[in-house]
Amino acid sequence: MSAAHLPALLGGLTLAACLGAAAVPRRALPGVAGAGTALVGAAGVACGVAALDRGIEPIELAGALPLAGLRLAADATSGLFLVLIGAVAVAAGIYTAGYAGRGHGSARTPLVLLPVFVAAMLAVPLAASVTTFLFFWELMALASLALVLAEQRRPAVREAGLAYAVMTHLGFVAVLVGLVVFAAAAGAEEFGGLGEAAAGLSPATRTAVFLCTVIGFGSKAGLVPLHAWLPRAHPEAPSQVSALMSAGMVNLGIYGVVRVDLDLLGPGPRWWGLALLAAGAATAVYGVLQAAVATDLKRLLAYSTSENMGLVCVALGVAALLRATAGNDEPTAAGAAAVVALTAAFVHLFGHAAFKCLGFLAAGSVLAATGRRDLDALGGLARRMPTTTTAFGIAALGACGLPLGCGFIGEWLLVQSLVHALPAGGTLVALVLPLTVGVVALTAGLGVAAMVKAFGVGFLARPRSEEAERAVEGGPAMAAGMGLAALACGVLAVAPAVLSPALGRVLPELPAVTGQGAGAVPAPDLDTVLRLPGTSGAMSPGLLAVGVAVGIVVALAATHWRARRRPAPLRDAPLWACGGAAPTARMQYTATSFAEPLQRVFDGILRPEVEFAVTPYPQSSYLVERASYRSRLRDVVESVFYRPVLRAISAAAAVVRRAHQGSIHAYLAYGALGLVVALLVAM
Amino acid sequence: MGLVASIRRLGRIAEPAPPTTWAGAAPPDQASKHPEAGGGAEALPAALRGSLQLRHVDAGSCNGCEIEIGACFSPVYDAERYGARLVASPRHADGLLVTGVVTRNMTDALRDTVAATPEPRVVIAVGDCARDCGEFAGAYGVVGAVRDVVPVDAEVPGCPPPPDAIIQVLRQVTGR
Repeated sequence: MSAAHLPALLGGLTLAACLGAAAVPRRALPGVAGAGTALVGAAGVACGVAALDRGIEPIELAGALPLAGLRLAADATSGLFLVLIGAVAVAAGIYTAGYAGRGHGSARTPLVLLPVFVAAMLAVPLAASVTTFLFFWELMALASLALVLAEQRRPAVREAGLAYAVMTHLGFVAVLVGLVVFAAAAGAEEFGGLGEAAAGLSPATRTAVFLCTVIGFGSKAGLVPLHAWLPRAHPEAPSQVSALMSAGMVNLGIYGVVRVDLDLLGPGPRWWGLALLAAGAATAVYGVLQAAVATDLKRLLAYSTSENMGLVCVALGVAALLRATAGNDEPTAAGAAAVVALTAAFVHLFGHAAFKCLGFLAAGSVLAATGRRDLDALGGLARRMPTTTTAFGIAALGACGLPLGCGFIGEWLLVQSLVHALPAGGTLVALVLPLTVGVVALTAGLGVAAMVKAFGVGFLARPRSEEAERAVEGGPAMAAGMGLAALACGVLAVAPAVLSPALGRVLPELPAVTGQGAGAVPAPDLDTVLRLPGTSGAMSPGLLAVGVAVGIVVALAATHWRARRRPAPLRDAPLWACGGAAPTARMQYTATSFAEPLQRVFDGILRPEVEFAVTPYPQSSYLVERASYRSRLRDVVESVFYRPVLRAISAAAAVVRRAHQGSIHAYLAYGALGLVVALLVAM
Repeated sequence: MGLVASIRRLGRIAEPAPPTTWAGAAPPDQASKHPEAGGGAEALPAALRGSLQLRHVDAGSCNGCEIEIGACFSPVYDAERYGARLVASPRHADGLLVTGVVTRNMTDALRDTVAATPEPRVVIAVGDCARDCGEFAGAYGVVGAVRDVVPVDAEVPGCPPPPDAIIQVLRQVTGR
């Protein structure tokens, strides 16, 4: 079977999975839908591997869409994203069979639409013309909207669905305008033609296309201030859909930026890189700050997605900025650092997809077992749900960006690119890059706080509610889905060399960042020891893991040997409760109390609404009868940016509503008036 | 390496430690052992020699002994140079400094604290109240001396005991 048949296989599998899920009896529905989704994902991975290997030649389907037809093709860059999304879909599909089997999100429509959503996501990087791209982009948005609304009986879900629908379509409009302007100015519709014509466009057109597409794709990737749909839609969607959206769909926002703004539009002026960097930095810090104070497990993960997409965007911005600084005449430190930054972006995309997929699947497992997402009502799951706890632990380690976690390599590469580019470039670069190092460091630090909170409060210690006390594991299918994602986490953390061949093909395809001619820089060597071109940075995650493992074994052996040599008598002692009565679950840290110091430090940004009231006894003001504490955290970007806009729209709508009296005579008059105006204008 | 070299060259700069009054064997007055704990300084756990992490428990003191304990760890007396250190939890501690008579409200807390301290451990009763209820013997809220509630390994007499006396006992445990 040649590579050209793979997209056809993908389409056929999608159709079969849909029809199968629509036709089978209810009992078999979760299994069929899950298996179908996993197969579609596997076909996507096959497509991606073929695209990475040799590329997929353009396929024209003239009759598939009126006027324009569909045009599919894939180069290595597309292949990278195909592999990424396909792999997430495989894990999520297997998980779905167990999750929906336990009655969560098990209505027929969402399960039938699940393979369609995956296929639409896979088709976006396959698209090779503007029409095809926009068609599948919108199909993906609509399919995901339907999936977010899977449990539409709950008002919170409907509200989240509305916010998501509006945001995603505003983003679509921005992408649409940007790409249509691009296509009209370039006089071509296929991506190949666009890329050739891009250099001849006027700077104003290029800037307009850049701004429109970055806004549109940025809203999909969850960049501040267009992130508002993420923390609303992700918690309310069924968990496998959250995983697909958070580990798959948001990456396509980055794909859009890479494809349109870095690849097709070609190298841009320096401020493009700066704009991407600023948007990414704001997103990373804001996202991680909100994650650190969130108490809803899935909302926390959603904000963490925003944070990581911000980091990827920072890496892309740094790459574009350094490339614009470096020039193409000779190999420079800035050029080398630009390549490292681009590598960091792709590696971090993979790392993030792995740990975020695992994180949402584990959160779904908790939700399925307890029905609670509120960290303040969880706890004590480590003993009751060991598999899920291990899975979430691996995901949290990855999200911390610490060594042995799969988020570490990407962040390390990003910091290396920032540090080693310093001698190059003018004042601007010398000023911006150290600040960015600070942003990345702050993000990593707060990320650790957020994940320690999620894992420590959510899974360790004692259960804080009856539901958490009665929690049990979700079964083999869910464990298998999580196991697959955990395996990916482990491989990416210890042996990022697996990405090396793929990146070796992708990076030369993006000369706008990696440079041309004499200035071209080879891809970094992600072997056992990571060596960076043109710099002295080197690191070996594999050897690091071996070192830590050996250290642990030696420490265990030493304590064992000591204990054998001088056995200490075992004795039972009561749990230490600071001399008070036996400790209860109410004495534990809650997610709110754990984050309280952070909330206090970042009071000016987060603006929490805190009410604290003490009611004393009438006899003495020193004797407290009752104390009440209420704290509420809103997304401050939402209340500052969105509310005024929404209020203005409502006001405008109220004005327009006055003209709508419901009287047929009035409407006839409007019609006549409109006709007269049209005739007058035409004359 | 400049720093390490200058540390090596300079060595330790401190006044010589004052002489110990116990000189090998426990003197009868300064640090009298509780009869049940066995006699002599050699009965104190050898594992605690050199380093002693202490948790202080106020079982019902007038705060006189607390001020003296605070003075022990001040720069003037500097008990840390003999290896004794105050810590914030019995889980981190090798020994307890108990002050005051044991009041009814603190009885269970004291027992819990002793149970929470990992073995080998020492319990040191500091001050006359902790030894034999002192001024407060027979008062309505008093359960008894420390040894009536938990086993005591060493005692420091005085009301309040001067820092030298407390440090003498601590040095007896750490052997420094």
